Amino acid sequence: MCDRGSVWNIEPMESVFTETGLEELRPAEVREGSGRDISGPSVIHATGLSKRFGSVDALTGLDLNVPQHSIVGFLGPNGAGKTTAIKLLLGLSRPTSGQATLFGLDAVKDSTAIRTRVGYLAQDPRFYTHLTARETLEFTAKFFFKGPKSAIQDRIEETLDLVGLSDKADRPTKGFSGGERQRLGIAQAQVNHPDLLVLDEPAAALDPLGRRDVLKIMERLREHTTIFYSTHILDDVQRVSDHVVILHQGRKVADATTSQLLDGGCTYQLDLRGDTSTAKSTLQGQPWVSEVVLSSTESGDSMIVTVTDQRAGDALLLRSILSDDALTVTNFGRKQHNLEDVFLQLVEGQET
Amino acid sequence: MTATTRVDKVELIPAGGSGWTVGLSNLLRKEFGQWWTTKLWWIQTLIWLLLLNGVTTVIMLDSSGMAPADLVREAVQTFFLVAATAVGIAIVLTLQGSIVGERELGTAAWVVSKPVSRTAFVVSKLIAHFTGFAITAILIPSAVFLVTAQFLLTEPVAYGPFAMGMAVTALNVLFYVVLTLTLGCMFKSRGPIAGIGITLVLMGQFFKGMLPETIVLATPWLLGDVAASFAVQQPPAFDRMVPMIVAGVEIVILALVGIWRFNREEF
Repeated sequence: MCDRGSVWNIEPMESVFTETGLEELRPAEVREGSGRDISGPSVIHATGLSKRFGSVDALTGLDLNVPQHSIVGFLGPNGAGKTTAIKLLLGLSRPTSGQATLFGLDAVKDSTAIRTRVGYLAQDPRFYTHLTARETLEFTAKFFFKGPKSAIQDRIEETLDLVGLSDKADRPTKGFSGGERQRLGIAQAQVNHPDLLVLDEPAAALDPLGRRDVLKIMERLREHTTIFYSTHILDDVQRVSDHVVILHQGRKVADATTSQLLDGGCTYQLDLRGDTSTAKSTLQGQPWVSEVVLSSTESGDSMIVTVTDQRAGDALLLRSILSDDALTVTNFGRKQHNLEDVFLQLVEGQET
Repeated sequence: MTATTRVDKVELIPAGGSGWTVGLSNLLRKEFGQWWTTKLWWIQTLIWLLLLNGVTTVIMLDSSGMAPADLVREAVQTFFLVAATAVGIAIVLTLQGSIVGERELGTAAWVVSKPVSRTAFVVSKLIAHFTGFAITAILIPSAVFLVTAQFLLTEPVAYGPFAMGMAVTALNVLFYVVLTLTLGCMFKSRGPIAGIGITLVLMGQFFKGMLPETIVLATPWLLGDVAASFAVQQPPAFDRMVPMIVAGVEIVILALVGIWRFNREEF
């Protein structure tokens, strides 16, 4: 059966998991999202992770699984608790309750060992202003590895090139713009070739071109690493993420693959040419159809059909329409939601 | 592919290390760099040459009919007593932002997000700043003092006792470096750090003669007198081992408190 609301618009979200089967999204059995197989061992695993500052609950009971080689977008409005969660995962802050493991290591007890395998970009990255970009990367690199100076320099050159800072490598970071600092932030997070990249708002300070470059870099890095990044730029998430976790007021309100989150489920969209009146009345008479909405466009008519049974919709809808010889179907498919709609509905749903 | 595998490809090996020393050598390199590859070292050296050697050179030049031995004693005592007070204040003023500033700027959070122990973060600052002040405010002015004394005084300065005085002054420097860094670990702003540190130094100047000896002995206020007494070879009225031992114990306690606090810091 099909309950449109159960796809993502239900609170509390625990119900979503139950009704949609998303509770099965565990590391070994993560479904394919965004056309990529992201199954694999869990890189980040958190259970009931909570943080309280005085009387304020910054994060409440966060359960999280980030599979290896996935790009996971950590979404939420400002103050949702994204940065708090990231800091807890990296051992920069201690949880009030709950626990987290990265690579199977405890985030509190083994944080130094964890950080040898992690690259982290803070929300507003800051560096020693008297150091140049090259010196900053050298300083960072030496926390992770040692070896011949030439090999370290090669690594630094490669990293500078990756973020497009080669021509500014020998300038002190004091004069860097926000965008340049952000690029250097990504470079220092990547210089150790980490197994996990944790990026807190990686594109926030960038112009559209810079944002595009960052997304490209993330796409390139996914071959070698798992990327867990927070953002409030929904378009970016939709473009590169396999998996989306949405946080609101310190609570997780959604956790699904991007395709699942955007899947319209029981709503179909058809673009038609010809007389649609017969088809509309035929469909309205079907027991598995709950709603038919027709609208006119420049190239014909657009029909939005909501069904009560997805299997019946898949099997019978197009067949019913095509039985009408007066109609030509130019487009047919399940309606895809826009992440912004999903996000707003989830967040506003929580608020009401 | 793991990070290690790819590191091996380019002949790089993991930095390794364990416990509190993880990241220490890299941090030390950075902290020493801030002293010796910037203008900090020569500005500090210039200040101490002007202050310590300036004052003592004036004393050496203006003997005012003093006996040669008294003149040496006067110059040496002034050198160590001024050093004890002035260096204490300078350390507090210079280092008040060493940890707080990094916390405010976000660089502390950045550094501790790397594989580095927080203890190493504090210890690297302690070692680098102690070394920096010991060289610029004690070693170089002392060398200049001895050279100047060689030329201007008829009575020689005893090098061995003078070196003892330098060692005690170094203990004084260490105390204020540790105190300031520990306060930096405990407070979020510079105000309390500068306030507590400078008040402690100045209270010694104004009140050490008025307060009970047991209280005074529990402070670093007498280290200047101890240093001067070693250098001029005149034992003071109190057991000079007591202030040194007390200062040593306090340094250890303060350092442990600072490290403990910084390890609990949330970024």
